[in-house]
Amino acid sequence: MSKIFNTMTAAGIAAALCISATAASAQTQSVNFEQAMAAMKAALAYSKKDGSDVSVAVVDRDGKPVLLLRGNTAAPHNLGLAEHKAYTANMFKMTTLAWRDKSMPGQPDAGQRDMPGVVPLGGGVPIMVGGEVIGAVGASGTRGGQEGDTACAQAAADAAAALVKRLQASN
Amino acid sequence: MNVQNLTKLLAVGVAGVFVVGSSYALLQELIKTSTLQSVSENDISVEQALLVAQGAIAECQKNNSPVTVAVVDRIGDIRFAVRADGATADDIDMARKKAYTARTFRQATSDWIKRTAPDAVDAKGKPILLTGQRLLENTITRAGGMPIIYHGDAIGGVGVVGSKGGDEMDEVCAKAGQQAIADQLL
Repeated sequence: MSKIFNTMTAAGIAAALCISATAASAQTQSVNFEQAMAAMKAALAYSKKDGSDVSVAVVDRDGKPVLLLRGNTAAPHNLGLAEHKAYTANMFKMTTLAWRDKSMPGQPDAGQRDMPGVVPLGGGVPIMVGGEVIGAVGASGTRGGQEGDTACAQAAADAAAALVKRLQASN
Repeated sequence: MNVQNLTKLLAVGVAGVFVVGSSYALLQELIKTSTLQSVSENDISVEQALLVAQGAIAECQKNNSPVTVAVVDRIGDIRFAVRADGATADDIDMARKKAYTARTFRQATSDWIKRTAPDAVDAKGKPILLTGQRLLENTITRAGGMPIIYHGDAIGGVGVVGSKGGDEMDEVCAKAGQQAIADQLL
């Protein structure tokens, strides 16, 4: 009986090893150079119409910067803030405007604000492709405050996502 | 001395006091306006930074080599930076450091590396002894950084990382970026 059991155990381990040896690596999508540039152009177009001097950051799905741009007359904090907004939107997979309200003191999610690198200020928007977040855009320094920054980042994120859809359609 | 002469003398005296007093006041005004003015300096713009990055990327593209580029302004902060597909996340910071080093020492980082080498000597064979500069924060002893000079004034720098040809090719691409706005900086 124990011999059968041992054989079965050995077979089980062998099977498990076999599976782990052939398992595919995890595949993820992340924002690329072209998408980041498309996002930046859309943000700059918004900023020009707005008559402001926006700073923009695009982060990948790990929250690391892919593109950084500091406006000509930006305040010293603008680019850093844009980067943190993008990081936050990517992390919580929602606009930082929505997350700001969701994580208000007293709310169940208020503790999320204690995480390093997050900022509860509007202006960060995730780049969504087929329900998946592949990165995010952060904007700081438009005329419309947090709402204006959000509109600018949204235009940028849309431009990046549209590029992905076009690529997928052509494939 | 008659009354007429006395009046004349008095008039000259009053006029003299007026002239001295008013020119002193004028001088005070001039000093005030000139010293209270804030500093006006040239700095690389977003538009120029984009052209520089484009020039650097296009040059390396000839080798089918995607690169990470950073353009810093006159104080060495990022004006524009973009990471190549597949590059490690640290490359943006590496490119920034190359650009920073070139900007702050107003020379190609490859030249600065030679100048700050422990055994570096000048034309007369005298030791240069600038190795200490390498201890400064944000500097990096790697080729691939070029300054952007406008009328002898360093208004920025460009740094390139990750080309197929290594640091030497990075410098070629950084130079191409520098050249992309050279005609604007005459």
